Amino acid sequence: MKPMRQFAIGSALRIPLLLWTIAVIFPIVWVLLSALKSNAEIFASPWGLPQVFNFANFAKAWSSYHIGQSFVNSIVVTAVGTVLNLAMAIPSAYAIERVPFRGSALLHNVYLSAMMIPMVLGWIPLFFLLMKFQMLNNLFGLAVVYAVSRVPFSIFILASFIGSIPKELEESATMDGLSPYGVLLRIVTPLAMTGIVTVTIMNGIQFWNEYFMALIFMQDQAKYTLGVAMDFLNKKAQYENAWGVLFAGLSVSMIPVMLVYGFFQRHIVRGMIEGAVKG
Amino acid sequence: MIASMVQSKAQRAKFLAFCLLPTMILFAVFSVYPLISGLYYSLFKWSGSGAKKTFIGLGNYARLLEDPVIPKAIGHDYFLVFFKVLGIMVLATFFAVVLTQFRIKESGFYRVVFFFPNIMSVVVIGILWTFIYNPDMGLVNSGLRAIGLDGWTRPWLGSLTWALPSIVLPAVWAGIGLFMLMIMGGISGIPASIFEAADVDGATKWEQFWKITLPLVWAQLKASIIYIVITTLNGSFVIVQIMTEGGPNNATHVMGSYLYQQAFVNYNFGYAAAIGVLILALSLATVLCLQLFLKREKIQY
Repeated sequence: MKPMRQFAIGSALRIPLLLWTIAVIFPIVWVLLSALKSNAEIFASPWGLPQVFNFANFAKAWSSYHIGQSFVNSIVVTAVGTVLNLAMAIPSAYAIERVPFRGSALLHNVYLSAMMIPMVLGWIPLFFLLMKFQMLNNLFGLAVVYAVSRVPFSIFILASFIGSIPKELEESATMDGLSPYGVLLRIVTPLAMTGIVTVTIMNGIQFWNEYFMALIFMQDQAKYTLGVAMDFLNKKAQYENAWGVLFAGLSVSMIPVMLVYGFFQRHIVRGMIEGAVKG
Repeated sequence: MIASMVQSKAQRAKFLAFCLLPTMILFAVFSVYPLISGLYYSLFKWSGSGAKKTFIGLGNYARLLEDPVIPKAIGHDYFLVFFKVLGIMVLATFFAVVLTQFRIKESGFYRVVFFFPNIMSVVVIGILWTFIYNPDMGLVNSGLRAIGLDGWTRPWLGSLTWALPSIVLPAVWAGIGLFMLMIMGGISGIPASIFEAADVDGATKWEQFWKITLPLVWAQLKASIIYIVITTLNGSFVIVQIMTEGGPNNATHVMGSYLYQQAFVNYNFGYAAAIGVLILALSLATVLCLQLFLKREKIQY
């Protein structure tokens, strides 16, 4: 009797699991498939399979609708943002975690509580600040803002990774005559690599997907990142019937993140959970 | 320890300054200063150009009290908070329990798939769901027609009554994976012996859920709820902006989308800053209340 009952429960529980799987996967697959359809097909059977695989939408989105430019912009902002963020967060996390100084706990708490405080209010002054620095409509300016906005998160994650490095390794390196700069660069940084990868991937996804600051700070179409370009294309597609192009654009912005997720699944999940618990 | 003894004090101070100062300065300029000057801006009437900035004290706050859109927007914010917390927590807890407490061989697969929406951009999610709700070719209306419920079809995002509830669904869809994993983390921290003992005592899975799982993952549930509340009050306007831009007729405006409109469409920067202060104050107050409320709940177990 018991196995039968177990089997029945197992099957009953799988129904909601499978339904949710469909609810998640179906819209994503639908975007990818719609990108391969012509406009006529999208209208005739919006939810059907494409008749032939047609990559014209991608070519059109890439060149005529400037998605190629936005793709490059997103890569630049993401790359500069993540590297800058690491340059700021690794030394700070190390000093807070391993170099005793007065106010170390206070500083750590300031950064931690910044994770709880939303930046919405700060966007208006930030807009005028960037204007004053001539960094409005500037990819580098956007990357700096992104990098700084994630400093608390990165310090939080990196401090916990650096805290788990055995102190003896640093001490023996110092005995061998390595300066503290050398210890940070040659000992701590390589040993905290798992944490650094986690933080980089998490920030990278965040910067790649960010929309609102880019909307406010980037004003030329030539400077749009993918998020803003998608929104722009979405509003334009309704008048120009460029649905296929829109779906091609959405695919272009989705696929890289999906690939990264595939490769670094564990890092991402861990980083997200730890960030959320404290955030 | 040894490291600090070998170095001279001056060298150590130099090293600390090297590690901490550049980050602190950039953080102060690009994070702390904007927040504080946001408070300051809220005391001015200002359309953006330097010359026309006039100090009006609490004038913007007085205007907040009289603006009919504000109570509506606050109501919409809390509507989203309530239904997002409800939807996400119920489903995420259910999935977390099913995937940890029952022997589901392919649970790794679900774990990976359910997390997909969490890595997608809100822009993509918003556009995707705008299509699902499209009056003519959208999935919702096509589905209703297919099962003969033609009378139920409507322009979901264009309807005064249905636009806001329609936004809850994508928000829940996008949120479940992360919180499911957080709760699963909590459950996996419960010693298996407790469940085994309960099995021996003949407690059903249902009883085990209420008496063991729920009290013991309370910390994770509480953290999840607070996180959803913060991100909703401060971030839900992004999906609103993409799906409806606050329309139709302000029916979906939340405080954040109204702030954007006031600042970057109408150029009322002072007033928009006051809205920003309101958002900050409300979200801090809500989180404080939740901390107290959820703490009291815990003692009952």
